[in-house]
Amino acid sequence: MSIHQSRISRRTVLRGLGVSLALPMMDSLAPRALAASSTPAAPQRMAFMFVPNGVHLPDWTPKQQGFGFDLPHILQPLAAVQDDLMVISGLTHDKGRANGDGAGDHARSASVFLTGAQPRKTAGESIRSGVSVDQVAAQTAGKATRFSSLELGCESGRSAGNCDSGYSCAYSSNVSWSSEATPVAKETNPRLVFQRLFGDGKTPGTDASAAKRDELKKSILDFISEDARRLQSKLGGDDKQKLDEYLSGVREVERRIQRTDNEPKFSVDVDYPIPKGTPDEYGEHIRLMCDMMVLAFQTDRTRIATFMLADAGSNRSYRHINVADGHHDLSHHRGDVEKHAKIREINRFHVAQVAYFLQKLKATPDGDGNLLDNSMICYGSAISDGDRHNNENLPVLLAGHGGGQIDSGRHIHVRKETPMCNLFMSMLDHFGTPVDFVGDSTGRLSELTI
Amino acid sequence: MGRMPTLGILYAILLYSSTSFAAEADFANNVVSFLRTHCVGCHGGDEAEGGVALDHYRDSANVQKDYGRWEKILRLINAHQMPPADEPQPTSGELIAVSAAIEAELGKFDCTAEKHPGRVTIQRLNRAEYNNTIRDLVGLDLRLADDFPSDDVGNGFDNIGGVLTIPPILLEQYLAAATVIADRVFENEDARKQVFPHKPDSDDQRVETARRNVSEFAARAFRRPLTDDEKERLFGIMRFAWQRDASEADIFKTVIAAVLSNPHFLFRIEQDADSDEQDGIRSLNGFELASRLSYFLWSSMPDQRLFDLAAAGDLNYPDTLASEAKRMLADPKSVALVDNFAGQWLQLRDVSRLMPDPTKFPDFDGNLRTAMRRETELFVAAMIRENRSVLEFLDADFTYVNERLAKHYGMADVVGDEFQKVHLADGRRGVLTHASILMLTSNPTRTSPVKRGKWILDNFLAQPPPPPPADVPELEEGNETLGSLREQMEQHRANESCAACHRTMDALGFGLENFDAIGAWRENDGKFRVDSSGELPGGRKFQGASDLMQILAEEQKDSFCRCLAEKLLTYALGRGLGSYDRCTVKDCLTTMKEHEYRFSSLVTAIVTSDPFTMRELEREE
Repeated sequence: MSIHQSRISRRTVLRGLGVSLALPMMDSLAPRALAASSTPAAPQRMAFMFVPNGVHLPDWTPKQQGFGFDLPHILQPLAAVQDDLMVISGLTHDKGRANGDGAGDHARSASVFLTGAQPRKTAGESIRSGVSVDQVAAQTAGKATRFSSLELGCESGRSAGNCDSGYSCAYSSNVSWSSEATPVAKETNPRLVFQRLFGDGKTPGTDASAAKRDELKKSILDFISEDARRLQSKLGGDDKQKLDEYLSGVREVERRIQRTDNEPKFSVDVDYPIPKGTPDEYGEHIRLMCDMMVLAFQTDRTRIATFMLADAGSNRSYRHINVADGHHDLSHHRGDVEKHAKIREINRFHVAQVAYFLQKLKATPDGDGNLLDNSMICYGSAISDGDRHNNENLPVLLAGHGGGQIDSGRHIHVRKETPMCNLFMSMLDHFGTPVDFVGDSTGRLSELTI
Repeated sequence: MGRMPTLGILYAILLYSSTSFAAEADFANNVVSFLRTHCVGCHGGDEAEGGVALDHYRDSANVQKDYGRWEKILRLINAHQMPPADEPQPTSGELIAVSAAIEAELGKFDCTAEKHPGRVTIQRLNRAEYNNTIRDLVGLDLRLADDFPSDDVGNGFDNIGGVLTIPPILLEQYLAAATVIADRVFENEDARKQVFPHKPDSDDQRVETARRNVSEFAARAFRRPLTDDEKERLFGIMRFAWQRDASEADIFKTVIAAVLSNPHFLFRIEQDADSDEQDGIRSLNGFELASRLSYFLWSSMPDQRLFDLAAAGDLNYPDTLASEAKRMLADPKSVALVDNFAGQWLQLRDVSRLMPDPTKFPDFDGNLRTAMRRETELFVAAMIRENRSVLEFLDADFTYVNERLAKHYGMADVVGDEFQKVHLADGRRGVLTHASILMLTSNPTRTSPVKRGKWILDNFLAQPPPPPPADVPELEEGNETLGSLREQMEQHRANESCAACHRTMDALGFGLENFDAIGAWRENDGKFRVDSSGELPGGRKFQGASDLMQILAEEQKDSFCRCLAEKLLTYALGRGLGSYDRCTVKDCLTTMKEHEYRFSSLVTAIVTSDPFTMRELEREE
């Protein structure tokens, strides 16, 4: 198996040092001749992609339901993968509503997106949301891979000031939460993502000195976790929680060292240039992050990813598509036709990047088919209209076939006020990690299959 | 889980409320009648909703006992959360009046009655602190934390213990960084000497010297003396490595990495009081105080002098704390206050991410952006270094420019990239007329008087306006808004529910309309002549920015000082402020007044305050 330059088409601007990455021979488990009869089912992958500020729904929602719908303006970039995705209209994130907590819709829209939980309104002490769907899956299935999950973004969170009406910035800049108190920070620099996944590209050593280094490393982990436990027993309140976070981080690293011991031998090379860093051009940045997800899925470094294309309430301007105004400023359009036009171009730009990602997944062989066949990619916003800040009838796409468990290619309209978490319940079922509930779910989304 | 009630949105105007823009009012007239009209229908009698009965407040708010309840009431009504949306809503005028009246009541709180220093959730080092601490600990400025995930912000700052989490990716990076640092220390002779200063005189002493080096290093890294047990455990990990035939270098690298990835290094630990201690409050020990001082003023670990004072028990004297704070402010390391405090208070860190529209502002470039931020940083640095009056943030008639920025400001005679101190022409006064702040508070395509006004209320006057009501009416179709931006805004204000707050916000913002969206001077906005005159609530009229700034420096100095004190105290403590912190803020104001508003007097008041020097058990409510 080999990822060629041509397939993961690299733009010249990123021409970098080509490294040979040793990949586990996933395909080697199934020699070609026997593939038909003995291929083990390819693993399922899931990714969640967040966009802020809602969308211009009239140009998002297809006019027809079922198969063969016409792609509205915003969704047109998806033409090549229309049969591989489902447009889902009508989902709701009730816990993104104020429900007595007053202003702060943007902060809530990110924190509720994958948790379905009402965030505690606090600017500093005791931040609380809920465990997000990706982490629910990761906590069960994540042990199968080197990284239980991957968290990506393009904006590194606000570095100053207040984010949204009395909510800590943690709510606005994270969608993934591993516990109700712990947002899982995202990585925004593609170079660092690459290095985390693949190191410097060298095949890990197997000699005696490497074994000794690992042994010393383990002794450090033993030492610091013992210190953390002793310390924790002397602390109270939220301090204990902080040490919990520390200890679960240590366990994650321990698990990874143990996995390295048992990982299949590396054999086939992959060519992919180490990204140089964060590109200036935003589209390039998004696509590089998509490449990282494709690579991570392809090499089975992880099966679960989240990606915030921008943070909640982002006021980024989109000059390369001739929108000089800030996205958030624009989203308060007050019905202004010109602003609507600009918003829908921003929406379409984001969707075009998703299309790039989906096409790349589709072009990557996996098991008997391709990666998109074995993926569930959920894309959307937890605000519907950026002006009204409403949380019902959310713009949501579900791409991929979930290993053949999803009847894609349709636009479906679910019953009013159906929780977005019902979609997550179905995704978790298909992922092989069913749970009794997630967030405010009330059941499954039966509409995913005919 | 119990905790001190946090500050309400408008805790803002708790003190000296008569000097704020809000009208003064008294309890019986405003509060009681408001409660009767809007609250006691549900919150009254034996069956009061949520057990909250408000009908027994007839002539006094009884703040000494019920301050928590009143703060909550204030927060809920200002956030339009109460009365509930399906009940008749108070007018904006009623809201403003009742807020001011409740604030006046809260201002009567007697601070001498009890002590509540509050409790800081243990803080992990944020990125700036990690970088600086490593620099001061091993003598290498590696800046490895620049690649760590960004620290989440709470209460306006990125050093808030409750918000600083450790996701697995960060722990991974701590471990990787610890290994890199250990390697670098061994490659660099000076660093090696700093980390392991003692040399054995003979082979017999090798083990003894190694032990001494390691425990001294760990004590500096943990910022306190080690227990014997901790020393033994450190030797244990060395022994383990030695038994595995690790080289001497690998043994030391292992122990350095174990120290630098240790929770005692990564967190600033403070022990809670024993529950049987009086009132659950304990005074911090010298080492804890040394760290509080050094992370507040330097964003780094204590230096040897602070460690020595801590060991001698001297830091528990307020005079020593004050004199050390002065010494530390004069040290070049206090530039951390500019980068990390001012960088966040004034949001200078965000200047680099703004993207003004290049078609509207073709002259804007990277050099100008850098110069804008630098100007304000140099100004703040001068305030600290020269211990100037903080009121100069409002009305200073000088600033720092290089050629690029001078050109932007229309000043002649400044040549070269170096910044120099210059006298300002009539139009500009103080930080609010710096291009950095003016650009931060604009849209990419045009100025936003509302954003500017709100920014000043939020960050300079501690009077944050409440969020807009949920059902802001749409601008009516066909009723086209025409004319200058100012005329458009005035049409908008015809709606009374908007006008109540916008009157103040817009007046402040329009006073700055002679500055365009990147802070350059202008006489006209498009085809319209700029009118930067205005009238503040209370009827005070002004003509343009200089006039406005002078009025703020004279008539809003208490609000400004309270705002600055609240921000700096939040930053110093690493937690959001709670009810009782109003007492500390009040003390800060008194001290500042007595010392001509010098910057160091504010710092002194903070470092000698109860919340800075004590720690309280978490209280059950």
